[in-house]
Amino acid sequence: MLNIRDLEQRWLRYKIKSYIPHFIIFISIIVISTLTLTFFDFDKKEFRELPKKINKTVTETQRDKEIALSTPKIVPVKKPVEVKKIEHNKTTIIAPKIQEKISSAIEEDDILKLTPSLNFIKSMQHSTLPYYKEEPIVKTKSTPAIVEKVQELELVKKIQKKTITEKEIKRINIRRKDASNDIRDIIRRFKKNNNPALSLFLAKKYYELEEYHQAYNYALITNQIDRDIDASWIIFAKSLVKLKKKDMAIKTLNQYLKSSHSSSAKILLDEIISGKFK
Amino acid sequence: MSSSIYIDSKNVFLDTVNSKDYVQLDRVSTIYQALKDSIKKPLKMILLYGKPGTGKSMFLSKLYNDLSASQEVHLYKTPILDESEFYKTLAQDIFSTKYGGELNFTQFMKIVNNSNIGSIPVVLLDEAQLYSDNLMEKIRLLSDTRTVKFVVTLHKTEEEDLIAKEHFQTRIWESIELKNASPVELKIYIQKKLMKANCFDSANMFTNKSVNKIFKLTNGNYRDTNKLLYTLFDIYCVYDENRQLSSIGTINIPNKFIEMSAIHTGLINA
Repeated sequence: MLNIRDLEQRWLRYKIKSYIPHFIIFISIIVISTLTLTFFDFDKKEFRELPKKINKTVTETQRDKEIALSTPKIVPVKKPVEVKKIEHNKTTIIAPKIQEKISSAIEEDDILKLTPSLNFIKSMQHSTLPYYKEEPIVKTKSTPAIVEKVQELELVKKIQKKTITEKEIKRINIRRKDASNDIRDIIRRFKKNNNPALSLFLAKKYYELEEYHQAYNYALITNQIDRDIDASWIIFAKSLVKLKKKDMAIKTLNQYLKSSHSSSAKILLDEIISGKFK
Repeated sequence: MSSSIYIDSKNVFLDTVNSKDYVQLDRVSTIYQALKDSIKKPLKMILLYGKPGTGKSMFLSKLYNDLSASQEVHLYKTPILDESEFYKTLAQDIFSTKYGGELNFTQFMKIVNNSNIGSIPVVLLDEAQLYSDNLMEKIRLLSDTRTVKFVVTLHKTEEEDLIAKEHFQTRIWESIELKNASPVELKIYIQKKLMKANCFDSANMFTNKSVNKIFKLTNGNYRDTNKLLYTLFDIYCVYDENRQLSSIGTINIPNKFIEMSAIHTGLINA
C-alpha cells in the first residue's frame, strides 16, 4: 500500500525544486531587460542632448571667432589719452590706448608693468574667461574722450572684420576646436589657483595656435602676477611682433633688458631688429 | 471506472518474464524473426545483448516457447555458476545422462562425443555475463564441437563487451542488439499490454502527452516503464479507494501521478 500523503509531499517538494531554475531565469531576464532598457534610455537622452551640445559648441566657436575678430589692430593714437575709467556699454576695444599707456608707464617708472586690454579682458569674461574678475592694475582716470576713441576703434574693427576672409576664419576655428578642450581645462584650473605657470602655458598655447591677441593677453596676465618670468616677456614681445607691432615689441624688450639680463630676450630683440623674427 | 480495472491494469505491469505477455512491436518482431532464422543456420553461437530492461529475457522466453514445439530447446534463466553443476545439468537435460559425483569438462566431452542425438539441441543461457571466464571458455569449446547450439544474452556494458570480444568474437554467427523503445513503440507497448488484459479504458488514458512524459522518465526502457506504470495504477487504486478520483478525472493521466510514480520508483530523485 502506497503512502500517498508522503508521496504527495515529496512530489510537491520536487515541483517547487523544479520551478526554482525557471524562477531564477525569469528574474534574471527581468533584471537584464530592466538594465538594458535603462541603458538604452540613457543613450537616448545622450542622443537627444547631442544637438544641444553641438549648438553649444557652435556658439562657443562663434564666440571665439568674435573674440578673435574683436581684438583690434593696433592703431596708433595721435593724442595721448589718459584713461582713468572705462565704461562698457558695448564690446569696446581700447587695447591700443592701454598699450600706449603701458609704454608711457614704462617710461615713467623704473618698475616695468604690463597692463592688459580691459576690453579684451571683459570680452573674455563674457566668453571663455568668465572667472577673471580681477581689476586691471592700470591706474585710470575718467575722461570723456574715450567714447570718441572707442567709436574710432570700432570702425577699425569693422574694417578688419571685412578684410578677414572666410577661409582664414575656418582655418583658425578648426585649430581652436582641437585644443579648445585642453585650453578650457587649463583656464578652469587657472581660475582656481591663479597660478602664473598656467597663464604662461595659455599664453604659449595661444601663441602656438597663432592666436596672438590671446597670447599677448595671457602674457600680460602672467606678468601681472609675476614680473620676473622671462618667458612671459618673450611671448609678449613675440605676440606684439605677430600683431605687427614690432616697434612696441622692441621698446618693451629694451625696457625689460634694462632690469634684466635675459639672454633669450636679447637674442629675440636682435632677431626682431634684424628682421629674422617676423 | 471501477477500482478492479485499476487493479487489473496494475497487474499487467508486474515485472515478470512471461512469454504470454510478450508484446509484438514491428521492430522487435523483425529482430525476433531474424533470430529464429539464425537458429536454423549451422551456427555455433548467437549473442543477444542490450541494456538491462530492453527485453532480452522476455525475448529468450518467447524463443523458448516458440521453438520448444519443433525442436529440442533448453532455457536456463538463471546462470549455473558451478562448473560441475553446469555440466551435470546439461548432461542430464540434453543427453539424459545422470551423473552422481563431480563432472569435469573432459568427462562431459566424453558424454557429448558418445551421444547419439539426431538434431542439434539449442541451449538458451540468460544473464551470461554472470558466468566465469573459465566456464565461458568451456562453453566456447563445447560450441566448437557443433553438438550444441548456444544462444546467450548479455548486458551491454563495457565489461560485457570485453567478454563478447574474448569469447565470442570469432564464433558468433548472429549478434543481435536489443534497444529501448521509441515513444511511438512505447505507446503501442503500453496500450497493447493493457488491451491484452481487456483494460481498454486504461489504454485510452495514455495520450501522446502522457506517453512522452513516461518516455522522458524511463527513456523507453521496458522494465522501468513496467515499474512506473505499476506504481501509477497503484496510485489510482489508492485514490479510488479514498474516493478522490472524481476531482482528478479519468480521461487523461495527470502529470502529477506520473511524477509521483517516478518519485516512488526512484526515476525522479526528489
